[in-house]
Amino acid sequence: MASTGERPRTGRARARLGETWRSFALGTLSVIVLLSVWQAVTAGGYISPIFLPSPLQVFRQARRYVTDGSLFWHVMSSGRRVLIGFVLAAIVAIPLGIVLGTSRVAKALFDPILSIIRPLPSLSWIPLTILWFGIDEGQKYAIVFMGTFASALLYVMESTRRVDPLLIKAAQNLGATRVDVLREVILPGSLPGIISGLKVCLALSWTCVLSAEMVAATQGLGALIWFAKDWNNMALVMVGMVSISVTVLMIDTAFRAIEDRILPWERHQRRRD
Amino acid sequence: MAVSTIIVADRVTKIFAEGRRDEVAALQDLSLEVNEGEFICLVGGSGCGKTTFLNLVAGFLSPTDGVIYLRGRRIAGIEPRAGMIFQSYALLPWKTVFGNVEFGPKMKRLPKAERRAIAERFIRMVGLTGFEHFYPGQLSGGMQQRVTLARLLAADPEVFLMDEPFAALDAMTRQVMQEELIRIHEQSRKTTIFVTHNIDEALILADRIIVMSARPGRVKTSIQNDLPRPRHVDMQLSPRYLELKTQIWGHVEEEVRRHIEATPRDPGER
Ligand SMILES: Nc1ncnc2c1ncn2[C@@H]1O[C@H](COP(=O)(O)OP(=O)(O)OP(=O)(O)O)[C@@H](O)[C@H]1O
Ligand SMILES: [Mg+2]
Repeated sequence: MASTGERPRTGRARARLGETWRSFALGTLSVIVLLSVWQAVTAGGYISPIFLPSPLQVFRQARRYVTDGSLFWHVMSSGRRVLIGFVLAAIVAIPLGIVLGTSRVAKALFDPILSIIRPLPSLSWIPLTILWFGIDEGQKYAIVFMGTFASALLYVMESTRRVDPLLIKAAQNLGATRVDVLREVILPGSLPGIISGLKVCLALSWTCVLSAEMVAATQGLGALIWFAKDWNNMALVMVGMVSISVTVLMIDTAFRAIEDRILPWERHQRRRD
Repeated sequence: MAVSTIIVADRVTKIFAEGRRDEVAALQDLSLEVNEGEFICLVGGSGCGKTTFLNLVAGFLSPTDGVIYLRGRRIAGIEPRAGMIFQSYALLPWKTVFGNVEFGPKMKRLPKAERRAIAERFIRMVGLTGFEHFYPGQLSGGMQQRVTLARLLAADPEVFLMDEPFAALDAMTRQVMQEELIRIHEQSRKTTIFVTHNIDEALILADRIIVMSARPGRVKTSIQNDLPRPRHVDMQLSPRYLELKTQIWGHVEEEVRRHIEATPRDPGER
């Protein structure tokens, strides 16, 4: 019986590559099967196109909206709202969260406010934000901000607080001042936690923006879906839905690439096990 | 006497959770003087307050009673003059070997070129040249402990404190590290307080061995280790070595027994 641990390194790398390919092939296969079944039941007349349009209908709709550029335009308007709202929330939440994570007094001051804001779903902010900002872009940013800020703050606080106190002691023992500890230990130590928290918040901002667009907007994926529903065009609704999935997937991939860049030590840790 | 004392611990007492039901007297009236350049080994049973004493010298803890002086200055607050090596390495995982070793000089705001020269020198001294750009997570335990040694040397504190630095290493690596430490000490003559459970380790490293009493810890006895330097593993066969070992073991055993009898159901610490 040969143990796998004795296999030469190149063999192991090749095995891993093979595994990647196999899971990719399996994934593709399952999508193809899903599409075929979907096409068969809709084209075969088992399900009325009123309830579920066929993949081909969805594809035709998509092609129309892609070629005239309007789909791209909707994606970009939603994307811009997400980005601006999310970045604003992150810009405020990161420094504030670090302060709250390191100072007991600040935490005691903020905790009650935070526990009031945090459970509120972003939808509940729609009336107030419309009152304050009207229905233009500012209101969309505000919805995203209010919907993600408290969670982002909480993630930052938690990751800051979870930095190993022994590392802080070691740094101080080597002559680090308070500011040095913050810059050299607390910031990099909490960074992995902050980034994974922000990833969750980014997904959350999409939910916020889409619901805000469904209530009051003339552009963006949420608005597109809502108009399509009013026009009874379920194929277009599904085009909107697929666009959301694809966009979020692309952003997630980009985020992961950035993550590998700024957390090189994490990658090594992962590679070890 | 020509030798000067560098550390003076004067009737140091440390009581954790004082006044509470789970109060623990870790150290009681511990007095100790350490000479400039001396290599001291602290031995004693588990829980007798060795780590606590090092933490007091490094200023991570403050004594309940008594004072510790370092070169005549009272220790109050974290003390970069007393550099610590932790049993669990405590390397910064997001810094490379180079970044970790360079940390002390960087905190002293030395210019970049100088920092680099210092870091490279000590990385070479502990035999890690070629691994400068590795992260701690990519190194074996022995290599990581060597990084902590290089980091301490580069920071150049006035006193070295080492808390069982080699306890987690295998016997062979441990022996190599001990020889390295002897060599480094002979070169730098840096005052060192080294905690160990291992009497052989103490005999090979120390100028003086302090046996601590069971909790609450104080100095039970201080034994001058007159084995000739440079030392080598061979000397473990010499009669003087065995004599010293028996003597120290006698003291330690007595305390360990006392401790076990005093606390029959002690919930084993760490
Ligand atoms: N932070 C703390 N709070 C409460 N009790 C503590 C604390 N640190 C240590 N103690 C107690 O003080 C006593 C001495 O602990 P210390 O860690 O100094 O022992 P040690 O001699 O280093 O033991 P070992 O050889 O097992 O490392 C122990 O009984 C321990 O439980
Ligand atoms: Mg200890």
